[in-house]
Amino acid sequence: MATVAPGVPTGPYHAVLDHIHPEPTSFIRKYIFSIDAKVIGIQYMITGAIFFVIAGMLAEIIRTQLLSPHGAIISAATYNSVYSMHGSAMVWFVVIPLLTGAFGNFVMPMQIGARDVAFPWLNLVAFWIFPVAGVILFSSFLIGAPDAGWTEYPPISLQGPPGTNLWCVAVFLIGISSTMTGINFLVTMYKMRAPGMTFTRMPLFVWAQFATTPLLFIATTALGAALAALFIERVFGVPFYDPKRGGSPVLWQHMFWFYSHPAVYIMIIPGFGIISEVLPTFARKPIFGYKMIAFSSVAISLLSFSVWAHHMFTSGMVPWLQLPFMIITMVIAIPTGVKIFSWMATLWGGSINWKTPALYAAGFLITFTYGGLTGFFLAAVPLDYHEHGTYFVVAHFHYVLYGGSIMSMFAGIYYWWPKMTGRMYNEKLGQLQFWVTFIAFNATFTPMHWLGLLGMPRRVATYDPQFQFWNQFATYSSYVMALATVLFFYILFDSFRNGKKAGPNPWGARTLEWMVSSPPPYYNFKKIPAVLAAPYDFGNPLPYLGLDAAPGATEATPTSVSHPVPTY
Amino acid sequence: MAVSVASHGHDAPHDDHGGHDDIIYNETRDMRLMGFVLFLVSDVVLFSSYIFAYIYLRNSIQPNWPPIVNGHQLPRLDTAFAAFNSVVLFGSGVTMHYALENWKHANKGRFNLFMFFTILLGLGFLGGQAYEYAHAQIGGWSGNIFGASFFTLTGMHGGHVAVGVGFLIALWIQAQRGVYTQSKFFGLTAGTLYWHFVDVIWVVLFFLFYLW
Amino acid sequence: MDLATIEKVVAFIGALIVFSFALVGLKGEWPKSGLDDNVTKVLLGLMAFGCVLVVLACFGVLPHGGGA
Repeated sequence: MATVAPGVPTGPYHAVLDHIHPEPTSFIRKYIFSIDAKVIGIQYMITGAIFFVIAGMLAEIIRTQLLSPHGAIISAATYNSVYSMHGSAMVWFVVIPLLTGAFGNFVMPMQIGARDVAFPWLNLVAFWIFPVAGVILFSSFLIGAPDAGWTEYPPISLQGPPGTNLWCVAVFLIGISSTMTGINFLVTMYKMRAPGMTFTRMPLFVWAQFATTPLLFIATTALGAALAALFIERVFGVPFYDPKRGGSPVLWQHMFWFYSHPAVYIMIIPGFGIISEVLPTFARKPIFGYKMIAFSSVAISLLSFSVWAHHMFTSGMVPWLQLPFMIITMVIAIPTGVKIFSWMATLWGGSINWKTPALYAAGFLITFTYGGLTGFFLAAVPLDYHEHGTYFVVAHFHYVLYGGSIMSMFAGIYYWWPKMTGRMYNEKLGQLQFWVTFIAFNATFTPMHWLGLLGMPRRVATYDPQFQFWNQFATYSSYVMALATVLFFYILFDSFRNGKKAGPNPWGARTLEWMVSSPPPYYNFKKIPAVLAAPYDFGNPLPYLGLDAAPGATEATPTSVSHPVPTY
Repeated sequence: MAVSVASHGHDAPHDDHGGHDDIIYNETRDMRLMGFVLFLVSDVVLFSSYIFAYIYLRNSIQPNWPPIVNGHQLPRLDTAFAAFNSVVLFGSGVTMHYALENWKHANKGRFNLFMFFTILLGLGFLGGQAYEYAHAQIGGWSGNIFGASFFTLTGMHGGHVAVGVGFLIALWIQAQRGVYTQSKFFGLTAGTLYWHFVDVIWVVLFFLFYLW
Repeated sequence: MDLATIEKVVAFIGALIVFSFALVGLKGEWPKSGLDDNVTKVLLGLMAFGCVLVVLACFGVLPHGGGA
């Protein structure tokens, strides 16, 4: 019979859970200033979606200007601000917060069998910095938005409009938010896994978040330093980047890219984690190469600190230094390739249930691989000399950022939507939305490879007339992408009115978040289960003990798998 | 431990002697300690970024050190005074260590004494830095890269010391109010680690600006 | 005895004192194995190294060629 240690309260679940994990009662504490990671995750998602729409509209302004070689939609100066803000918003206010703050907060604690993250109040502060910093960023439009690209190289950025100062402050603030999240998540995943969940029994989405956390709190701080230096140089004249007083513009490039290269891995590794969850569920097969996928995420994360200068090949750096950066950049393709092959092998021979998340995951495999290949080409120094600053680079990073990050997020939203809301979305519309997005995305960005190879430079409001046809093609395709995005939001809103109620596990998945109701209760699990195996063994019984055990029964704590001590 | 700090009642601090509350406390303390150490790691990265900038500019960009401005080479900083000020700060690190040791051995009187000296020496260091800033003849913060890197790095460090002094005063007040027991004193541990961290950053800065 | 020499003498004596106490503290911490204990050991060791640097500064060994 189950034993209970002396002095520990027992009783029906709610009395006990009210003692150890009480639910808030006021509207403000439930939905506005909530410390619940699930609510915070949804708050990140809503805020990120709003910034995605704004940044997307900035992109459409860019594309509309580029309909003709000497477009007159906006002035050249405004054009510079528009693409600078499009890039800054997408990188720091859409992709990073959504992949870490939204998906990480909502899914990761449940997947490790925890009730919340390690530091829930820190989580709350980290979230609320996000919308405040976003408002600061966009308010720069009122006083002259930054215009030197999201990379803001000096000396141009030193002479930039006043909004550049607000840009420095906004990105610095959201960097603090990122750092807090990284520390919070790492402690959570290290210390709060359910009993029995050794590292090699963690879901791959958790492995991905785990690999991302060092990037969040180590790399981001380096960016903060660079931004603060730019700010004090602009405002107080402190000469870090001014060659006349002993500084160097190349210093900014080193400091900026030391962060921003790991940042692009922050923007993709959690996406890899999402794909690793979606594919086995819809292929009804164990993930192929679990350990290789897990360890390759860590390898990519560590290697990412050593390749930053591949963004600086044309900056005048000495040739002997270009070689190691080129080689390590190419080497990073190996763990990435391992994942791609493992995912393909996961699908191979599976009885694939082609629902919308699976379609997006398959689309991801195609477009992300494509983007990874063009990245490999750019790693080659002689090719980079030719393509740096052209639309080839723009094509590359949109293939990995949209074709990789955004597509994986679409997969993740469709996948976890029933869990978050308790509603199914309209499957037919979802599939339509996928195809329109996939086709329109490729139509928009494939021509940019050719434009780049032909020599069209990026970040310029006008272009040589020979490039017009493909620019128009890309622009009209981008309008279709915009329509697909509108359809996406329609599908989500429609699910609240017409969506079927979802049960706990509509996809038949095996990770812990699918073992509780949809939407999940405040406390996630009535009892923290013990975990016996990794979650991908389709066909075997679920590897969890004690999910629905009677209240007062012995429950293991992470301090000891073999000698369970009741936590309540 | 899947119990959030916020969800556990804030009872008066007491020692549970290995019971249920102690298990929860130890797990929570472990998480807080890991979080605090990771925060210190990120702080190291912050200083390292500017240290990289200083080394890069001095080594790769500047032909002379100290730099030549308007035909005159700037003077070196005052190594003797900085050596003296450094000992003040290192001394405060030692007194802080002994303050914590005395707390662990329930010597509240000695704890109070060592905390007092730590705070005093910390303030002394800050006073010394103010003196150094007033007397440095290197062209000011915005004059050239010498001033830019020196005042930015030591200023950031001084800011960390000032925050640290505030932290220590707050911890001392909490200790007087009985928030910590002989076995539950995470705040004091965190404060000591922070203070040692600030100390060690100064070792690096002292070397980089005064001895290189 | 100018000010710089006084500063150097006081710094030298202080560094010796702090160095000894740092090593005594390190010896006491050595057997402990918690995360905070290990971090403390590293930091105490580096602090002792700082005292060594101060001594080198007092004797003009560093900076190379003598400082102010």
